[in-house]
Amino acid sequence: MNATLNELFEGVVNGQNEIVQQKVHEALRSGVDPVVILNEGMVPAMAEVGRRFEEGEFFVPEMLVAARAMQCGLGLLKPHLQEGEVKSRGKVAIGTVKGDLHDIGKNLVAMMLEGSGFEIQDLGNDVPPEKFVEAARSGANIIAISALLSTTMINMKDVIEALDRADLPNTVKVIVGGAPLTEGYAKSIGADGYAPDASQAVSITKTLLA
Amino acid sequence: MKHRERILTALNHEAPDRCPLQVSFTPEFAERLRADLQVKGQRDHNPHGGGNTYELERALGEDMLLVSVGWANSYYQQSGTYTDEWGITWKPIEYKTPYGVGHYTEPTGHPLSDDKEINKYKGPDPHRQELYNDAEHVIRDFKDEYWIVGVTVTTIFECAWALRGYERLLSDFILNPDFADQILEIPYNYHLTAAKKLVEMGVDMIWIGDDVGTQSRMLISPKHWVHYLKPRMANFIAELKAINPQVKVAYHSDGFIYPIIPELIEIGLDVLNPIQPASMDPARLKKEFGHKLCFWGSIDEQHTLPFGTPEDVRAEVHTRLKTIGENGGLIIGPTHHVQLDTPLENFWAMVNTVTQTKYADL
Repeated sequence: MNATLNELFEGVVNGQNEIVQQKVHEALRSGVDPVVILNEGMVPAMAEVGRRFEEGEFFVPEMLVAARAMQCGLGLLKPHLQEGEVKSRGKVAIGTVKGDLHDIGKNLVAMMLEGSGFEIQDLGNDVPPEKFVEAARSGANIIAISALLSTTMINMKDVIEALDRADLPNTVKVIVGGAPLTEGYAKSIGADGYAPDASQAVSITKTLLA
Repeated sequence: MKHRERILTALNHEAPDRCPLQVSFTPEFAERLRADLQVKGQRDHNPHGGGNTYELERALGEDMLLVSVGWANSYYQQSGTYTDEWGITWKPIEYKTPYGVGHYTEPTGHPLSDDKEINKYKGPDPHRQELYNDAEHVIRDFKDEYWIVGVTVTTIFECAWALRGYERLLSDFILNPDFADQILEIPYNYHLTAAKKLVEMGVDMIWIGDDVGTQSRMLISPKHWVHYLKPRMANFIAELKAINPQVKVAYHSDGFIYPIIPELIEIGLDVLNPIQPASMDPARLKKEFGHKLCFWGSIDEQHTLPFGTPEDVRAEVHTRLKTIGENGGLIIGPTHHVQLDTPLENFWAMVNTVTQTKYADL
């Protein structure tokens, strides 16, 4: 990795917007391929953020500022990327379940997935089952549902049943997560995957789409 | 044993006749319980305006009564969307359970989301006499019999994030530390004033707290907790104990906060609440910290109470009494307001097992 990309990597990991902006410009000016800037400077940085989170070095604030720096860099880079040049790993439609307004977990999962090369359709919070079905119909490969409460977690089953009933043209997989959930509960409602945190949500999504 | 004597004994790390009990409810569960018990409720009280009434609490045999002053009273304040006296906007959100529809209110609008607003911001006044009327009544009517707790939860961080926005304040901890400090000072000063007044009035314990734990790890790093919250919490506790050295202090945080428990003990904490068993092992906490710290809560509200059987609930209560509650040091209860998703049989299995199990028979 060249020095600029290395500094870009560090800038994303440490959530330093100004450094990220500066290094993206610098790399572009010196003729580095935008795809290389993305795939060698930025995507590995988000993977590093995930690693540090899993190892207990990073907490939610560190993840939030890193994701913000990543988005800032992506914003600068996007006009320089040709259509189709960067292949999406898949499309994820994500939201909190009906009845739940707690969205920080959902936002972190969305940020980590986006940083890993997935296309994100953020359906927001308090999302009714029909909206998830609509997203699946319009091409989402993964439906990701989050819940903080034991009182709302039970609504996840409605989404999975609605998807089963919907006669979709494509295969769609469902991943679930949130404080009261367990692997066993996820299985019992027919989810394809469960992740206890944002970093592991990325690995499970990659596995399901492999 | 009188209720307050039972709590005092437990907090003195000795086994009372039975384990002391404290339970709170969401409004819809309280309605169901009121009908079941045929207790007429007067107006709700706190904390979080959940649906507790002193009639209901006394009918259950609870041992301590709570009275709250502070931002937490903004929960369930009105129907529909509303803005509280801090300028924070709240939105109601419904959930369905097998027993009917319940609702929560959640902060969705944040008056300090724009940096410029901080210079103009004026929070509510904690000196208003009417804020303390309930405390005056509960101390006058019940202190002889019950342990009275002054509640100033959502003490610093939670109220601060509601003012600023959750993700904004968490990011400020890294990107804008001075600004974060400025915001944290607002609820800190308000709740400290309220807590001091409650101690002067004669409450037995002050309940402070901020949720800084997630299910399996801390929300913020222990380093950030030590930097931003520990010095404020330390001073908070010291000022209360300077007024009355006998006053006890309880601290609430949901989730996993294991790394900061020694820090809390160091700054003079007496009681830790609510000990979510899926996040931290109650028996381990007792073993490691039980000689210096008492506990309050510990009955699982994520799985056992809503989804377990009455037998599961009884077994969990017995396990707690023999582990985290061994030889006192525990005020038992659910780890959150009992929600509408809890079957009444499970609720009664919890209450009756606690009230009918004598320490001597364990």
